[in-house]
Order: sequence, then structure tokens, then C-alpha cells
Amino acid sequence: MKNKNKFETSRRRFLQGVGAATVASQVPAFARTFEVGQAVPAAIGANGEKSIVCIFLRGAADGLNMIVPYGDSSYEGHRPTLAMDLDDGLIRLDSTFALHPALAPLESLYKSKRFAPIVCAGSTHGTRSHFDAQDWMEFAAPGNRTMREGWLNRYLMATKTESSATFRAVAIQELLPRSLRGTFPVLAVPGNATKKKSNKNLDIFERFYGDSGGMLEGGEMANMQPDNDAAGVVESGRMTIETLRRFQEIVGKAPTKRSGDVTVSGSAYPSSRFSTGLQQIAKVLKAGEGLEVAGIDYNGWDDHTGEGGVEGKMATRMTDFAQCLAAFCSDLGPELDNTTIMVMTEFGRTVRENGNTGTDHGHGSAMFVIGGDVKGGKIHGDWTGLAKKDLYQGRDVPVTTDFRNVYYSVLKNHFGYKTPQEFFPDFRPQEMRSLY
Amino acid sequence: MKSPTTKSKLEPLSQREKVSHLFSRLAFGARPGDVDKVLNTGIDAWLNEQLQVKPSENPDLKERIAEFETLDLSVAECSEFISSNNAGRDATEEERKASRRLQRLPMGELMQAVALRAVLSERQASEVMIDFWRNHFNVSFTKGRQIFSQINDYEREVIRDNVWKDFPTMLSDAATHPAMLNYLDNHLSRRPPSKQELQAIERRAKRKTGSKTQAAEAVSLATQRGLNENYARELLELHTLGVDNYYSQNDVIAVANVLTGWTFDGGRSGSHEYKFDSKMHVEGNFRVLGKNIHEDETGDNGQGREVLEILGKHKGTSEFIAMKMVRYLVADVPDEKLVTKVAKVYRKTDGDITAMVREIIGSELFFARENYRNKFKTPFEFIISALRVTAAEITSLRGLENYLKDMGQPIYHCDDPTGYYDVAEAWLDPGVMALRWQFATDLVGGKIRGVKVSDAFYQQVPTDSSPRLWQHHLTKMVIPGGAGGRTRAALTTVTSEYLEKTKTPDFYKAAPTLVGMLLGSPEFQQQ
Repeated sequence: MKNKNKFETSRRRFLQGVGAATVASQVPAFARTFEVGQAVPAAIGANGEKSIVCIFLRGAADGLNMIVPYGDSSYEGHRPTLAMDLDDGLIRLDSTFALHPALAPLESLYKSKRFAPIVCAGSTHGTRSHFDAQDWMEFAAPGNRTMREGWLNRYLMATKTESSATFRAVAIQELLPRSLRGTFPVLAVPGNATKKKSNKNLDIFERFYGDSGGMLEGGEMANMQPDNDAAGVVESGRMTIETLRRFQEIVGKAPTKRSGDVTVSGSAYPSSRFSTGLQQIAKVLKAGEGLEVAGIDYNGWDDHTGEGGVEGKMATRMTDFAQCLAAFCSDLGPELDNTTIMVMTEFGRTVRENGNTGTDHGHGSAMFVIGGDVKGGKIHGDWTGLAKKDLYQGRDVPVTTDFRNVYYSVLKNHFGYKTPQEFFPDFRPQEMRSLY
Repeated sequence: MKSPTTKSKLEPLSQREKVSHLFSRLAFGARPGDVDKVLNTGIDAWLNEQLQVKPSENPDLKERIAEFETLDLSVAECSEFISSNNAGRDATEEERKASRRLQRLPMGELMQAVALRAVLSERQASEVMIDFWRNHFNVSFTKGRQIFSQINDYEREVIRDNVWKDFPTMLSDAATHPAMLNYLDNHLSRRPPSKQELQAIERRAKRKTGSKTQAAEAVSLATQRGLNENYARELLELHTLGVDNYYSQNDVIAVANVLTGWTFDGGRSGSHEYKFDSKMHVEGNFRVLGKNIHEDETGDNGQGREVLEILGKHKGTSEFIAMKMVRYLVADVPDEKLVTKVAKVYRKTDGDITAMVREIIGSELFFARENYRNKFKTPFEFIISALRVTAAEITSLRGLENYLKDMGQPIYHCDDPTGYYDVAEAWLDPGVMALRWQFATDLVGGKIRGVKVSDAFYQQVPTDSSPRLWQHHLTKMVIPGGAGGRTRAALTTVTSEYLEKTKTPDFYKAAPTLVGMLLGSPEFQQQ
């Protein structure tokens, strides 16, 4: 990057070029401060070697089937077929809660106090639309349709300094999760695109998309601005070249491991798409090249049918999820002390099971915070019980911990970054003091 | 709001740019010669030919489509096809493999047919709109095995057949199709069983198992059967009114109740077709969108049809459909005035799709400079247009499946009921370009199984043209609207480098590189 300012403006153009007119006309006051270059104190930007891995469970995962309230007197009545007890293999956490048997690989993280489940967590907005709820959780602005910058992107942008690492964020999948979309350039790379063979292409297409541009026949400089509205594409292409090269360099350095291989501390990665993604993230984190934020999705949690209890579609998915996550943590080794893993989902599911051993769209769910510096080993969040009168609209888990308070607490305690006013539009976050 | 472009916003499109724009938006790109042909015959003539009610297939395409075995099967026939290919209990591993392959044949053939029609059909506007509706009324093979027999029929009867009809017809055809009812779980949504039914269940279980506890368990299981809100919600949110527009959670629950019993006969000996099962239906009157919907006393499913009728006539539906069509055909940020106009056409014509498309094309915004090449192609549009402009010879499109998957848009595999998005914001992330470049170089390098750039394509370039003019000719073929300065400069550099290296320039050696670059250029990513 030769000229940061130029880069900034062209990236902004990139966003306009992609048609998000709202970005230009209604940039929130918070984001506008970037443009005038309001300096962020260097001490805040420099977070040492710390990083966040943000995992989004898409489809609205049933928190009650993960952190199971087996001790709640109303639980079984709501879920005659789904409900489980300690006899079914639930892993007791305290007198109210237990881990679903499929989450057994996470038990040791809980016992070593590095896994903090938060119950009754989520968004207080009443929407039961997956697509709105996901957007709003990732933009950290429920109900706000003009905010189009992901919350992690806003963090990256706000803490950007001259000396920042060039490779601060990545998503290991075809497309960026919305939490990472925005002004700060973040690479989305599918797990299988790390092979060297695409390097030749990067060289070829640098002529169109690279920094330098070309010379026209007459010797005059080619217009830096390509024809018409392809400006967004050019920016995207340029960032692809820059960051993919860097990514390959970093991943290339790390020792290669195939799925199923046993990691240093003895935990095996299963063979799955999520597993491949986490393995790539672990490589980059361990390379120590200043990666701060990684995002990855886990799809398919919309269990309207066949969700099941001990066995079922959700249990199968949770098994893979937990095995991957446990393997990832042991793969990270001491690096886990510098890492916070956040697991979230757009909303929870109905307390009552539906007619198809599944559950419908609900409200509150659970969030997980995992890491070396987290106060794990106990349940966080206010639990208000499952009696019908205490449920949200008489049917759903209420939200007693706003997800933005979790974001705020992680950014403040793990990154040492205190979000300025308006980072969360129209919301004043409160720290969850119990979390760190 | 937009950065200044090289050409003034006010400068109207040239006739060539207009035609090339037409082929971008109402076609998946221009085949060699297409633009020149329409420049001669005129845009109106092309439109009249394209916006015809009955889709038809050109002979070459028809021949290709006829090779498929399962495309014309009804749901029942397709189910029969799949179950008849079950591997027996004693089947060898090899037989099992063959059986799995045959059971997936309907899915594979449909995915191929969708791509093949998009590339080869001369009724391009139909294919473009079919893709729009395919995503609007999304269903997906990711739902599981049962849906393998249902989507071929769905594509044919619900989407293709209705492409130029009216929206309410398509809506009601989708609502009564097994694929949709299955995909959004409505086939399972039912009233809780009555006391008598529970007793019957208990008796049956006792007789079968002889165990009292097991009988009690069966009863407890049955008690829990009931409403599933999935389809009702998406019907309001995604198919008609738009998210949280005009409706509330109470409406979702009411619609879910009304639609109980809309299912299909999925049993082993069943017809597999849509049926209304009054035994599953929640009887009663419900209030939907401020209107009382009375139980249909005839025991037919009139109540649900009444709700669909209300939705089909609803102002919110007209606005939502108009907004999506303008976004798809004109610009990612739809112009509000145009949306209002198109919504009015919807209401005036009872949702006539052809009339709405005509309104959009007729508006001055459609050919406005600001909307020219202003939409980022989706992966599907990118790949299909690359095959069209290069007049690719196709023996099989299976080779494309992995590219589409890697780019995040495999055909009929969109898990989310939203369907695939059609705006750049959803696709244009740093990183995606690497996959497009890979595709472009693989295509010209002949590395994609079953697909190759045709000789006919290269033969369009005059054999006696000087090497310096190769790029000029090729650019005109791949990007009929013309390339920008930077792209031209990059191509010139590559040509120069090639000429420096060789004493005997050979067009057929140099051209693939240039075409690959053009397919990966910024201009080609836009439509």
C-alpha cells in the first residue's frame, strides 16, 4: 500500500460502487470520524498479539439444547420428546444447567475455566426473521437498516494505525460474514484456495487490478479509474491480490497437517468443512503475523424438524462443532491465552417443541466466550426460568444479556479497546464484569 | 454520490452500448454476432420476440435437453424412478454405488439443464426471469433425499411455465407444490391430535408392543405434533410482503394455522402429489392481515386459498415484487419512483409479469448511463456469460459444478429461503476475484471438463489482421460495450511482451491468454 489516504478513499468508492448508496448518504456519525482521520490513541490500537475468532451459527441455534436447563422445573413439560436428563448423558455444569452430551469435547475447557457460556443472550429486537436478525447482530445495530459496516470491521477501522499489520483479519469461506464487511479490507478465502497454483493468476491479473496501472499506446498513463462503475471490482481485485499473496505466504510457512491428524496436545480434528476452516485459522494465528480477527460460519441450525435430544440432527451437528472447536483450542496451545473465541447465533428457538421434534423461531439463545483470559467454568447471564409467565411473549427465552454488552466486554478486556460512543448506534453498552 | 466516471452521466448510451446492455440485463451476455444482429433489426423487434408468453426451445437446445432422462418426470414418476433404483439388501458395494448415482440423477440432470438452457436458449429473457423466480421462490436440494424427486417438477411446472404469467398464479402454484411444502416443512404442520386419536394411538401401540410404558410414550410423542410456522413466515416475509411489512407474529401464527393440512401424499404407495389433508387441518376462523378468514365449510382448502388471494392482491406484495424486479433489472439500489410505477402496473394488471418487465424496460432509467454496466454479475451470471461470449462448445456442464460451488452459488443448493442475492454487496468481497480468474484461465486453457472455447469463436478474428489488432477484435467480442483505458493498456502490454518473445506470431497461441484476461477483467464482471 503506497498511499494510505488514497487507499481509503478508493475503498469508500468501492463500497459505493457496489451499490450501497446508503453507505455514502447515511454513513453513521461514528464511521464518519474515520474519514476526517480522527486519530485513535496508539495504545488502544496496539493490542499486542491478541485475537478474536468469531463463529456464527447460522439458522438460529437452540441454546436450550446446548446449555440444557435440566434443573428447571418447567423444562420437561415444554419438551416432552426433546428433554434430556442427567441419566441421558447430560454433562452437569451446576444444579440447573448441563452440557448437551454432544458437546462433551468442550467439557475440559469448562473445567479449566476457559469456557464461559452465557444463557439468555441475544438481541432484544423482536424480529424472528433469520436474515434481519443476522444482519443486525453482525452490524451490531438491531433495527437499523442504514448501518452496513460489520462490528468487527468497525473495530479494525477504528484501531488502524500506520504500523498495523497488513493482514489483520480473514474469513475462511467463500464470502465474508457480515461482521467483517465494511471499509477495512478483509480477505475472504475458501479453505481450498490456499494452494499455490493461483499465484500465476495473481501475477497476470495484477496488470488490471494492481497498484501501478499500465501505459497506453501513446505512452500516457492509463486512466487509473477503469471504465464506468467497475471501480468496486478493481478495488476488490487489488485487495484479493495483496492479501491472498500474504495469506499464502503465512500459511505456506506453517507446517502442513491433514485432517484427522493428531495435534500436538492430542486432540484430533474431524474431517469437515468447519474443521478445514478452523485449521487454516489456527495456522495463521500461530504464525504470529498480527492476525487480530478471524470469522467463520457454521450453517444449518434451523431445526424446525428432527432436531432431537440426545440423538438427532442437532446432536450430529453439535458433535462436529464441539470436536472441531476442542481440536482448534488444543491446536492453538499456549496461543489460546491470547485468543478469545466467540460463538453466537441470530436468535433462539421456541421453548416448546413443535410437532416435528423440532422447534420454531424464538428469541433468546446462548452465547459462548472461550479463551485463556476469560472467567470460564461457570454459567454467565441472568436465568429467569422457563415458567410460561416468565417467557418472552409467553413462548420464548427472554434476552437478559444484550449481545452488544458481550461485544463491548470482549473488545474492552481482551483487546483493551473501549468502544467510543456511537460505535453501537443508539445503544449504551454495559460491561459484563463477570466475564473477565 | 457516484464518483465521476470517464463518461458524463448525461451522455446517452450509444446504440451499440444499448444493445450490449440489453444482452447484459435481459440475457446472460451476447453470443458472437448477437449485438450486430440486433443493431440491424432493432431493440423493439428483439423484445417482442423475447417477451412471449410461451417459452420455446431452439432445436439445438431441444436436442440436448432430450438427452436427459428425468427432466420431464412428474413428482410421482420421479419418486418411482428413485425408489426403483434402491440397492437391495444384498447389493455389492459396486451396486450400491450405481444405485446412489442413479438416485442422484434427477438432481444432476436438473442442475445441468438449468445451466445448459441459460447458455444455449435463444429465449434469453425467459431464462433471465426464470432465474429471478427460481431465487424468489427458492427451494433446495440441501433439504435432503425426499426433495430429490420434487424439484424437477417444481422447476418445470411452477417456475418455467409461469415465467410470463401473473404473480398470483405462480404464488399459488408454489404454495401447492410438494417441493415448497417440504422445503419449508408445511407438510408436517398439523393440529394437535384429538382425544380419540390419542386413544387410538395408545391402543395401537399397546397391541403392537404389548407394553404400557411404550404406549404412553407413543401418546406423549403424538401430543406434541402440531403447528410448524416455517412456511407461513417465509410466505409473508420472502414471497409476498417483505420483512415485517404489514404483518405481525400473530399473522404468522394465523397463516400457519390456516395452512395446516397443505401437504403431499408422501407414503410408499402415495401419489406424491399435493393434497389437502383435512385431518391435519386446524379448524376455525382466523384473523389474517386484519381480515376474518372463515373456515371453509365444504371441507376443501378454500380458507388457505383465500389467504393466498389476499396476499396476491396486497399492496405490500405489489411493492415488494416491484422493488425486487427493479433491483434485478436496473440497479442494486432501486429507484423509488420506478418501483412505485411498477407496483401500480402490478395492481392494475393483477400482477402480470410481462407488463411489469415492459414497464421497467420502457423507463428511461433502464438505458440510463448511470445504470450501464453498474451491476456486479453473480457467480452464475459470470460463468454463463463467459460460456456465451466465447460460444463455448459444451459436451457436459458437470465440470462447472465445482466452480459454482467454490464461488458460493451451486444451482438449486441455496440453503436459505431467501434464494441467492442479486446485489453486489452479497458477492463482492476481497478474495472472490481469485476464483473468477481461475475460472477464466481454466476455460481458455481447456482445463474444464466438457467445455471448451469454440474454434468458431476464434475464427471470427480476420486471419489477415495484424497482431496489434488481435486485442481490438477480441475485446469487441468479449466486451461488446468496449473496455476501459486501463484494461486496454494491460492487454497491449501482454501483446507486446508476446511479440518481443517470438519471431512468428501465432494468433492461436496468443489469443487464449488475451481472452482469459478479458474474462477476468473488471469490465466483464459487470453487467
